[in-house]
Amino acid sequence: MKDVRNASRIGRLQFLSDEQKRDIYLAALEIAGSIGMKVYHEEARGLLADAGAQVEGELVKMPRHLIEQARQSVPAVTLVYGREGELAMELGGYNSYFGTGSDLMHTYDLETRERRASVLEDVARAARLCDALPHMDFIMSSAHPTDVNPHHSYLLSFREMMRNSTKPLVMTAENADDLRVMVEVAQELRGGEEQLRQKPYFVVYNEPISPLEHPVESVEKLFLCADTGVPSIYSPAPLAGATAPITVAGHTAQGVAESLFGLVMHQLRKPGAPFLFGIGAAVLDMVTAQSSYNAPEYYQTYMCMVDMARWLDIPNWGYGGTSDSQLLDAQAGMEIAQLTFMAMMQGSNLNHDVGYLDFGLTGSLEEIVVVDEFVGMNRRLFRGVEVDRETVTVDTVREVGPGGHYMTTEHTYRHLRSAQWRPTILNRYGYEKWQTEGSKDLREKAGDKARKLLADHQPPALPEHVGRVLDEKVNGFTERVA
Amino acid sequence: MAFDKLIELVQAGDGELVAAEVQKQLDAGSPAPAILNDGLIAAMDIVGEKMESEEMFIPEVLRSAKAMERGLAVMKDELALDDVQASGKVVIGTVKGDLHDIGKNLVSMLLSSAGFEVIDAGINVAPDAFVAKVEETGANFLAMSALLTTTMPMMKQTIAELEKRGLRDRVKVIIGGAPVNQGYADELGADGYASDAGAAIKLAKSLRA
Ligand code: B12
Repeated sequence: MKDVRNASRIGRLQFLSDEQKRDIYLAALEIAGSIGMKVYHEEARGLLADAGAQVEGELVKMPRHLIEQARQSVPAVTLVYGREGELAMELGGYNSYFGTGSDLMHTYDLETRERRASVLEDVARAARLCDALPHMDFIMSSAHPTDVNPHHSYLLSFREMMRNSTKPLVMTAENADDLRVMVEVAQELRGGEEQLRQKPYFVVYNEPISPLEHPVESVEKLFLCADTGVPSIYSPAPLAGATAPITVAGHTAQGVAESLFGLVMHQLRKPGAPFLFGIGAAVLDMVTAQSSYNAPEYYQTYMCMVDMARWLDIPNWGYGGTSDSQLLDAQAGMEIAQLTFMAMMQGSNLNHDVGYLDFGLTGSLEEIVVVDEFVGMNRRLFRGVEVDRETVTVDTVREVGPGGHYMTTEHTYRHLRSAQWRPTILNRYGYEKWQTEGSKDLREKAGDKARKLLADHQPPALPEHVGRVLDEKVNGFTERVA
Repeated sequence: MAFDKLIELVQAGDGELVAAEVQKQLDAGSPAPAILNDGLIAAMDIVGEKMESEEMFIPEVLRSAKAMERGLAVMKDELALDDVQASGKVVIGTVKGDLHDIGKNLVSMLLSSAGFEVIDAGINVAPDAFVAKVEETGANFLAMSALLTTTMPMMKQTIAELEKRGLRDRVKVIIGGAPVNQGYADELGADGYASDAGAAIKLAKSLRA
């Protein structure tokens, strides 16, 4: 059985010294405290004012003690459970989990290999594929369906994700209305409000707007999460050079301030509610005006963010398995590997956007399969090295002696299946065998694997009463909201 | 040529020196419209090309645009308003329900650097608010940005609103943003679509001509 609590515990990368982390934290306090931020949600402003923040119109200046107080009350570890109620992720510490991203407008069709507009069936397919892949730990929508009423899209996607996978979800929502329906369905799944609080089934991705703005919808969703115990991410996406300073330290400091500002609102609403800290560290390419998810400066701010999360002792939202390339080519392979490896190396917790191409505009199921393989390989790597009598095995070396071989020893036989990791799509054939197998490249093999899994894999059906409530509530919403 | 130095300074983005050079040219008797067309605007055309060929970075282009404006300010008494704004007046904004504005701001800044007068209506702009702005300012361009598939339909509604108020023939409608494409522009009957800021400027210039 997979040990979900030990997803890859060895974090080894550090980008900031303790002194630098402190400097960034102090800069964030100064941004929040002396510049302040715009909060468009009236009730939130009231809450902040009552707690001692300085409120002038929509501008809120956050005193240091409110941030420190929120740091005290926020949980350092958050557990998330799958559909069937089994523990799936222990968010915090150095544990790294991976899952898809949300809302891609285009999808590479697995059959035609052409890029086309995403449809609802793409959400279902991606969920079912991830359900079958051992190293995808949670599921986001992947595709944003263009074949349904846009205001129904998040909820209809939620239904497909729930039906097609038993893994936990990370949801995006348009506002508190569609989110509330998701929460109600999850409460039905768990058997009550308190039960959902005990065993969260999904996490919600909420975002402020950089620089320094907190829209009504974001805060509404943040509050709904706090009220119901659904873990909330509050991660800005400051674009370096456009909506945040172009330098890594400035980019990080502003992002830290924005995420912590959300933390305060969230913890004031409900102390102890589960929260994930984060920064979507995108960088505006100053020549092409694209927002890169793979520039080296992006990696730097991302890693500084994880350093800060660890220092603040708050679980973090992160990134993995994405590429800026328009297709699954060598650039994609390089970027996927670098980003994912760094996330694991540093023990970034909840890493999304697996399967993103084209700056977050196009999705690829083949890419998801490739990343799953890569994560599997690296989970092996980060498992660490066992050193004991049995593994050092001087006795076997004595038995074999000079000039012998290990192919037939009892020790080799005993460890054969566990000592080596086996690839499923990486090629280790000799040239001729590779040719007789069809001379396939990685993308083709990933496509074959995806097609096979989709043909064979069917997750268990939803319990009857949950399926019924899901349909009632989703249909009720789609009839109510035009 | 007489304006070589001015063209150089605009490209370098030094507003102070551009203003001084424009003053020097005026003192030496160069006519203001010539300084404008053969100096400042010629310089910005080069800047546009350099942006296209990736020689100049966007913040450098914006700096050049600012420098050009400094030069323009020196001549404001000498120039009839028509000389400056013969080019076009654009109402730009991000459609209702959509808060993405980085791309819209870029297009807006580069349009003004290409000599358009730009009225920025901001984000989350409802169809009637767009139309009211067009009416109030007498703009001949309406530029809409949408980054979400959920908000794209607002473009259609805005065009319908223009038609309802009998303003559709007066303005060129151009649209853009990540989910938008030429097919969608055709479907809406928009006058043009562009995939990035550089193309947006070219598009607007071609529609102006
Ligand atoms: C930054 C960003 C944000 C920031 C926006 C900050 C800001 N001040 O704008 C924040 C974090 C607030 C945000 C929020 C959300 N976002 Co967002 N965001 C992005 C991101 C990463 C980059 C956009 C960007 O600025 N690019 C850089 C600029 C320069 O490029 P551009 O906008 O495309 O503009 C260029 C061209 O399109 C063109 N152009 C643009 N406008 C116009 C207009 C005219 C007239 C013309 C001619 C040309 C033109 O020229 C521009 C310059 O070259 C995109 C991903 C992406 N790659 O696009 C997602 C993305 C657009 N967001 C997305 C989503 C889902 C959301 C949220 C709904 C998430 C949530 N659940 O909260 C919210 C929605 C908030 C709202 N109501 O608007 C999705 C959209 C999916 C879909 N199918 O609709 C995307 C694609 C990411 C993803 N795959 O999930 N987001």
